[in-house]
Amino acid sequence: MSNLKRSIRSEMWYVLFILPGLCLFVFAVVVPLVIGAKYSFTNWDGVAPTAKYIGWDNYTQALSDSDLWAALRNTFKYAILVTVLVNLVSLLLAVLLDSYLKFRKVFRTVFFMPVAISTVLAAYIWSYNYSNGLPKLLSYFGVDMTSPLGNPDHAMMALIVISIWQGVGSPMIIYIAGLQGIPGELTESARIDGAGAFGAFRHITLPLLAPSVTINLLLVLTGSLKVFDLVFLTTGGGPAFSTQVISTFIYNVSFNSAKAGYGTALSMLFFLILVIVTIVQLAIFRRREVDL
Amino acid sequence: MKKSLIGLSAVIAMLSLSACGNSGNDASNAANSSSNSSSNTSASSESNANTSSNTTTNNTTSTNASNGDAEPVTISFMHFKSDVTDGIQKIVDQFEAENPNIKVDVQPVKYDDYYTILKTKLAGGDVVDVFTLNAGSQAKLFVDGGYVEDLTGQEFLSSFDTDVLTSQATDGKNYIMPLNAGPIAVFYNKNIFKELNLEVPRTFDAMIEDAKKIKEAGKTPFALGWKDAWTLGMWIGRDLPSNTALVANQPDFFDKLETGGSKFADNPAVKTTLDHAQQIFDLGNKDQLGLGYNDIVDLFAKGDVGMMYMGTWPLADIQKKNPDLYNTGIGYFPYPFSNDETLNKLEFNPDASLAVGSKSQHKEAAMKFLAFMASKEGGDAWVKNTNTLSYVKGATTDIAPALNDLKPYFDNGQLYNSQAYMSKTTIDWTTQLIQSLQKMFFKKDTPDQVVTALDDWVSKNHK
Repeated sequence: MSNLKRSIRSEMWYVLFILPGLCLFVFAVVVPLVIGAKYSFTNWDGVAPTAKYIGWDNYTQALSDSDLWAALRNTFKYAILVTVLVNLVSLLLAVLLDSYLKFRKVFRTVFFMPVAISTVLAAYIWSYNYSNGLPKLLSYFGVDMTSPLGNPDHAMMALIVISIWQGVGSPMIIYIAGLQGIPGELTESARIDGAGAFGAFRHITLPLLAPSVTINLLLVLTGSLKVFDLVFLTTGGGPAFSTQVISTFIYNVSFNSAKAGYGTALSMLFFLILVIVTIVQLAIFRRREVDL
Repeated sequence: MKKSLIGLSAVIAMLSLSACGNSGNDASNAANSSSNSSSNTSASSESNANTSSNTTTNNTTSTNASNGDAEPVTISFMHFKSDVTDGIQKIVDQFEAENPNIKVDVQPVKYDDYYTILKTKLAGGDVVDVFTLNAGSQAKLFVDGGYVEDLTGQEFLSSFDTDVLTSQATDGKNYIMPLNAGPIAVFYNKNIFKELNLEVPRTFDAMIEDAKKIKEAGKTPFALGWKDAWTLGMWIGRDLPSNTALVANQPDFFDKLETGGSKFADNPAVKTTLDHAQQIFDLGNKDQLGLGYNDIVDLFAKGDVGMMYMGTWPLADIQKKNPDLYNTGIGYFPYPFSNDETLNKLEFNPDASLAVGSKSQHKEAAMKFLAFMASKEGGDAWVKNTNTLSYVKGATTDIAPALNDLKPYFDNGQLYNSQAYMSKTTIDWTTQLIQSLQKMFFKKDTPDQVVTALDDWVSKNHK
């Protein structure tokens, strides 16, 4: 008993340290979530001081809303492509910048720099690049280019390029850290046993890098599922719904169409989707890590 | 300047979004009130100094003395005229100079984000003393929410024509003060028109003919910044109601839409508008959906573009970028939405109107501000600094050389307001139409599919 008391007393310090973070989390996440859940059962227009309770109507409407499904398709298309491409590119860069390359510190800084730029800035830089910079440059080579952001067929790819440019920095750092944690003698002995550069990478480096892969896939996927700022600033979901992701769709429903009740119901559904995706992903990758 | 403003407003939008929780609002309210009280205390010590100096030099300033007994206050003024931020600030400076006890905290917001931010602020419990609203459905939304003070019977409303007051009334009462109005028409480059021997078109087909000739000459016929939803929305939000009410003779189409009594499929004007949209799109600058308002004003100011459908807002910008073009090179003609010359009058719309927040702590000061804006002096200041017209009786109309082209229409009363046909609907059909149109431009949807999509959307979202 006294043992328990002592351990509580000594652990109290740690609790004290999480308190600020916990408060922030409760007031910025939990409280709005609960209030939002309440509003999702009303027909609130976002302005009126009162709202009428309408039960599950918002949720049944959402399930038959073809726009919601289109937005979800766009979201997952964006998120999956970004996750795969960002991880491929950042892994490649990490391997390259972990080797004995001249100026590798300079290169690391250069590739990390876009992370430090705010998305607002990145969105304007790229909107300008797409509509003015690149077309002007290409016109010297006789190529006629229009901004891909203005074409429903290419807008999504154009967005993905921006997210890769901005997104490779952090995963790259995690991969480099992971690579540096791998003992050199393992690769060396594999080489002696006759493995080529690719073989060593495939059978030694990659399995040992698995924890970094897990965390990177998880972070990039959940991050890109929630993308809002980039889409809102570059295309606003257009043209022709081609880049309308779930978060911009919720924003438009809530504010532009003045249907805040329906919008919060959509956010609740989206919250559920995010939870499911995260649980599934964690389950899959944790198991694979153990197997390896 | 403009870009940074847009960025700033976007950041504000995001901040206000993330501060949706009660705790965030409480914190920001607390911050606001503390900054207010601190500014009040510092200002009151100032005013003490003022009154003491007033007693010594009382006979020189009569207006100061009359205001001298009032508590010094700061009122907030949020507006969506962010393209003329400097101009509005000058008007406010003029007001502050005449009312030394009232400070105005001006908060310009880009129009695209304006209503989102205003809604978030008001619903979150923030107080905005004076703000701009558009007459019609937007004003009704805020009046129904109980956020707008009733202005009926205020003395300063006598500065406006009763017709104007009636047209901007909500449920029979004046909650908003008419302020700003302007034509929306087509700017054209006189140099290009002269060079190619083109006449100012009076019908839609004639305009398209001119545009084709401009294109053959290797220039851009129409400047279209349709990346910004409002530029495209502004055009279809006028072409469609004009054709619906005046060509297809269904002036109550949008009223009925609200109650489910009409369908887009039964309105022949929809097909006309879609056809117009495709023709104009095909004759536009390249990258029609990739360029925004700022880009096309640049294009037009450079002088390579034949025509641009727009209100009077870009004039100040064009004057800055290309004074020669501004002084002699630009003309302005009413947008010919039909092929019947007698129907194609000049579109003249109310724009910003002013409202006083019902929860305002400083209503008296806010009313003084409105009274100033309603005075001849305020009206003139508005016209001079914003390059748009004012509803104030007797205010000057001299805003730009290009506007002289429209004088015959003003003199003969050949004006109309297509927005009046839509004043009773709150359905946001333009957003949906914009999406479908963009699909149509890229041949992903046929015009028939667009019409079906519109009706489906209305029936699904507004039962």
